[in-house]
Amino acid sequence: MEGIDARPVVAGLAKPTRMQALLTTRVRKIGTLVLIYGLMALVAAIVIFPIYWMFTISLKLPKEIYRLPSLVPDNPTWRNYQELIEKKDYLTNIRNSLIVASSVTVVSLLISSFAAYSIVRFRYRFRGFIGRLILLTYLTPGSLLFIPLSIIVAKLHLGNSLFGLVIIYLTFSIPLSTWLLSGYFRSVPADLEEQAMVDGTSQIGALFRILLPLSLPGLAAVGIFTFTAAWNELLFALIFITSESKRTVPLGLQYLITGDVLLWGPIMAGATLAALPVMILYFIAQRFMVQGVTAGSVKG
Amino acid sequence: MSLQATSRSIKPLRTSRLSLANRQALTGYLLVVPALVLLLGLVAYPFFFAIFISFTDRVVGRAGTWVGFDNFRYLFNQPSFMKTVSNTIIMVVVSDIAKLFIGLGLALLLNQAVPGRGLMRAVVMLPWAMPGFIAFLVWKLLFIPIGGGLNLILTDTGIYTGVIDWLGQKSTALPAVIIATVWRGFPFWAISFLAALQGVPQDLYEAAKCDGATAFQRFRHVTLPSIRPVILVVVLMSSIWTANSFENIWIMTQGGPSDATMVFPVLAYFGMQTQRLGEAAAVSVAMIPALLILVFLVTWLIKEDE
Repeated sequence: MEGIDARPVVAGLAKPTRMQALLTTRVRKIGTLVLIYGLMALVAAIVIFPIYWMFTISLKLPKEIYRLPSLVPDNPTWRNYQELIEKKDYLTNIRNSLIVASSVTVVSLLISSFAAYSIVRFRYRFRGFIGRLILLTYLTPGSLLFIPLSIIVAKLHLGNSLFGLVIIYLTFSIPLSTWLLSGYFRSVPADLEEQAMVDGTSQIGALFRILLPLSLPGLAAVGIFTFTAAWNELLFALIFITSESKRTVPLGLQYLITGDVLLWGPIMAGATLAALPVMILYFIAQRFMVQGVTAGSVKG
Repeated sequence: MSLQATSRSIKPLRTSRLSLANRQALTGYLLVVPALVLLLGLVAYPFFFAIFISFTDRVVGRAGTWVGFDNFRYLFNQPSFMKTVSNTIIMVVVSDIAKLFIGLGLALLLNQAVPGRGLMRAVVMLPWAMPGFIAFLVWKLLFIPIGGGLNLILTDTGIYTGVIDWLGQKSTALPAVIIATVWRGFPFWAISFLAALQGVPQDLYEAAKCDGATAFQRFRHVTLPSIRPVILVVVLMSSIWTANSFENIWIMTQGGPSDATMVFPVLAYFGMQTQRLGEAAAVSVAMIPALLILVFLVTWLIKEDE
């Protein structure tokens, strides 16, 4: 804004001196900076406020939430966290989610590495077709599949088990992981593996000793995507898990909001606990994650 | 299928050692088989199974018989189904447009070489890093009339002092749900666009500058054409996900009040709970034609890109 105001002053002069010209550009630069930082502050506020609110409410008791709503808690308390863990058995939910998400991550990384290695480095019939099939399965939304899957899962006796959830989640994570890992593998020159194979390493050995170590950033990004996707999944957990002892985190929280009275304090305490580890992971691995997005669009 | 094809072609060689090319092909197949079996069995098969079920009067525990298009005829006469169709179209179009403008603007902003932009990029990623169901839980809380953060801000800043029941009334429920969906979704767009912007060769801008192009002209004739493929892929993929997202609606409104925010996955879920699987499957299957067009466009664009 300042920059625009300053311009007519200079234009009015017959011959602006060098000094004045320099001054104008500086004023304009400052104006642009003010605009940029102003917009950034606005965006930051919009992004951060809901997250701040989640944490604030988790520290408030019902009286403070409803009777005297305020932006800053007057008497912050950890009582909600206590109640959630002692009365709602939230630690069981967290344990179940950890088991499911880490199993899915390990198995999915293994199967997807094999598939990506095969698609990128091997020559055989139907290779292109298989690659396209994997992309197509990635674009098939789970909401199309849950009715037939509920019948299939019941027939396979996988209903109401964490193992069944792991199998179902693998079908979502493998297409994306294979696709992203193919991108990483393609960027690693094949010479290194060929060299190792000349030295007597098997093809599988070349994958584990050369290609995977060189693709570690990619593996980390793909692993984090997989872990969080499994950690966050609600629809299929809702359909397949029926007993309380097997509920995952999203399921535990969703049952807290189906009651008549919503206990916002404990709900937000649960939300904070569930969001924190995932968000910290993303923050640490930020650079890899951005590379992951560039390598192939990632569900968001 | 593919495995049989190899073993057939290998047979004549059995007396001697397998040729190198065949051994290579066999290893290749073996490596891709686990992924293939899972995806064929639990994605491709259920996909066609869903289509089949939608043409039967299947209920839980009974396979039912072929009824042709009866389920679809029934659906198209249901007001709640027609509401679902219009809600989905509004949600996809409005949130796509909002995310496009916000994402593009933000990408341009974050592409400026100013101190602190690294931190800002990390901040922008936060809604995306947040688990989806938690983001929507938090927005459900922000939208509650008393004690929710949104009304509090509106009152404190003096913009509007009344009490709005955002998710509880028909007129504001869909816009509210869209706001939350955009909040959760825009970082993915911004980050994708930013990555694309950084791939635009700098000398194109220099050349345009030399030719006397203004900042807007440079954006219009250099930036936009360069990142257009990325924009298209992001728009299409995001449309597929928005049209099929369950958790945002399920957590915030469960489709209410009176179908004001009903979408396909939630309607299908309710249908499944009534145990009439044929009709429930028909809900999901009804959107396959639209979905196929989007998927076809995405795969075509990605192939062009490669």
